[in-house]
Amino acid sequence: MHAEPSRPHTLTSFTAELDQLRNSVLRISSLTRLNLENAIKGLFERDDDWCNNSIADDEEIDLLEMQIDREGIEVMSRFQPVASDLREVISSIKIGANIERVADQAVNIARRARKLNEHPELPELHLLDEMIKFSFEMFDDAVRAFAERNAELAKRIKPRDKELDRLNRELTETLVNKMQDDAKNLPGYLNLIFISRCLERIGDHCSNIAEDIVFAVHAQDIRHLAQANRVAS
Amino acid sequence: MIPAENILPLPLTDDFVPGESNFIQVKDFKFFYGKKRALHGITLDIPSRQVTAFIGPSGCGKSTLLRNFNRMNELIPGVRHEGDITIHGTSIYDPSVEIIALRRRIGMVFQKSNPFPMSIYENIVYPLRIAGQKDRSVLDETVERCLRSAALWEEAKDRLHDSALGLSGGQMQRLCIARAVASRPEILLMDEPCSALDPIATAKVEELIVELKKDFTIVIVTHNMQQASRVSELTAFFYLGNLVEFDDTKKIFTNPSQKQTEEYITGRFG
Amino acid sequence: MKSTAPLTPNFFSGAGRQTSILRLLRNKFLTGLCIFLSLLTLIPLLSIIILLLQKGVPLLGPNLFTQLPPAPGQDGGGFGNAVVGTFAMVGISLVFSVPLGIFAAVYVNEYAPVSKLASAVRFVAKLLTGIPSIICGVFAFAAIVMTTHKFSALAGGIALSILILPTILLTAEQALMGVPYAYREASFGVGATPFQTIWRIVLPEASSAMMTGIMLAVARASGETAPVLFTALFSYNWIHSLMEPTASLSVLIFNFASLPYSHHVAMAWTASLVLVTLVTVTNVIAQVIFRPKHQ
Repeated sequence: MHAEPSRPHTLTSFTAELDQLRNSVLRISSLTRLNLENAIKGLFERDDDWCNNSIADDEEIDLLEMQIDREGIEVMSRFQPVASDLREVISSIKIGANIERVADQAVNIARRARKLNEHPELPELHLLDEMIKFSFEMFDDAVRAFAERNAELAKRIKPRDKELDRLNRELTETLVNKMQDDAKNLPGYLNLIFISRCLERIGDHCSNIAEDIVFAVHAQDIRHLAQANRVAS
Repeated sequence: MIPAENILPLPLTDDFVPGESNFIQVKDFKFFYGKKRALHGITLDIPSRQVTAFIGPSGCGKSTLLRNFNRMNELIPGVRHEGDITIHGTSIYDPSVEIIALRRRIGMVFQKSNPFPMSIYENIVYPLRIAGQKDRSVLDETVERCLRSAALWEEAKDRLHDSALGLSGGQMQRLCIARAVASRPEILLMDEPCSALDPIATAKVEELIVELKKDFTIVIVTHNMQQASRVSELTAFFYLGNLVEFDDTKKIFTNPSQKQTEEYITGRFG
Repeated sequence: MKSTAPLTPNFFSGAGRQTSILRLLRNKFLTGLCIFLSLLTLIPLLSIIILLLQKGVPLLGPNLFTQLPPAPGQDGGGFGNAVVGTFAMVGISLVFSVPLGIFAAVYVNEYAPVSKLASAVRFVAKLLTGIPSIICGVFAFAAIVMTTHKFSALAGGIALSILILPTILLTAEQALMGVPYAYREASFGVGATPFQTIWRIVLPEASSAMMTGIMLAVARASGETAPVLFTALFSYNWIHSLMEPTASLSVLIFNFASLPYSHHVAMAWTASLVLVTLVTVTNVIAQVIFRPKHQ
């Protein structure tokens, strides 16, 4: 297997445009990472400014996603890429869309954080710590796998989504129990449940990104393997 | 003259199996132009009633192999081969196989359209005339059948007796296809049939190729990768006289298993 | 920021030095010289034609083609037998040289283009084109006149055929080479034999170019004196058989021009005019009628 053909294209403009597309995906990734951090900072430091930053900067990410689509379409129409190039362009467009959704989750978290900041701090806030660390690591690994065209790393991301789902379920259960005991803070607990859900969604998007990377590198479709196997058998 | 019925067999004879997976078998085939070896032991099976594309950089041997299927290469002095090519189980080098008969069963379309400097009608009936067919009704019927199967009938029916050289480039190439199917071959060899055509004419010929594969086993050599991916079911990639990869066209163009194939089709060399 | 300013203030200023008056004059002078020299080459040709018209036209009349040459010292008469004799001998030469030349060309170009025999044939043909015409006459004299003990139209025709055979062979080969290989490929590709390919495709396509070659050979043969002088000799009578001395226009000119009778000399001029007209007409036919069809 070959992660990346060793030589550049005979057409240097082809290589240049593929690089440009790739850089755009890396750029949207780092902006999204920053927005996630800002939202979490706003949540823990109880500072609305960070939250507002995160919400405002989402616009730039939306524009970047559109730019990625444009660049991808341009490469396809100008160079008719095939094989690894084709897979790279397709997966870049899909990864761009998934990262934009991760950024949307950052916005959701920031909005919930602003609501939480209206009330006194809930001690249960720190129950989110593990999920935040876990989901952020998944995101970082997904971006790294894309940057390095590392399909092995990408393949290891998908199973971790199950773990994140489990954490989300446990946390939700805990918080629902709390809600019954402490009806006064019900809106706060609800907001925490929503944030937990946002983090779980981030895991889903990372999992999608990982699938696209595996496709780009190995032309292997690892999505919905259970259904695919059922259809095949 | 050989009686017409002996050399114009119907395409569907009793023992003809549609969809035969090893209709043309190339077995460790080597080919030499004088001392220069052009093919280094090629082995591949070409299925019937499908389009198989040969791709690869210039001088990779794809045309050489194609031109061996109807032994056209033997017109060049000083050539020699080793190994074997069989069609439907019979070696084309078998002493009982007449080269003339072989070429009547295998139509060929060339890179540059080469209609004879005669009328459209005479171009198409030429393969029949040289086979001794004189029956006017058979000739007329053949002209219509071939022009229809080459999607040229509507454009040419009112000018059958005009010179073929007055046709447009795309029409000329379709006329050559019509001529190639006149002797009712089972195999159509196409050596870069669209390389001299504009995109619309190319599209018409490609459309025709897809249509023709219902009746013919088509092997096409092309430099146009998009063309190979559009019209063919199977693609063989040749490089320096070797068969590097032979697989489903879809596989070749999304996920080739050989690095050389990948680099060639993505435009990294060649 | 993209600059919209032009690269140079004046678009053409970078294109090299401006044309000077001197250079302009030199150009004009050289062009004039070329035109003058090419006109100069026309002078011999034109003066021949003018001279022939001047001296040849007075005697021109239908009788020339129906009557026999006058005996020395007599007036009147014509050179009908010489016209017929020229046609007969050219015809005989074509009968021998055309099939031989074309078949040899077909063999050399179609069947065995790289064989030793083919190269030998080509080499000999090229050598023969350079052989002085008188040698052809001497050869035919030795080979035919000496063995049959007769001067004859046949010997003359054979001498001429030796003269034009290489021309016909080489032009025929050129004509065959001019037929695109794609036609042969197409014909072989549908299962034609080499014979069918040559007969149905290659020869028809090459025929016009071959005809040009043949016409040029005819023009050459009808004007040649030397090969006929030794072989057909001359006759004051109509031709009755191919095995007797036969008159030809070229020998008639040769003979009459050297006679001391003004009428015969004048007749030689007229015969020259007729011969030049014949040669010119065949040449023009070769160029115009058999021009390549597809261009």
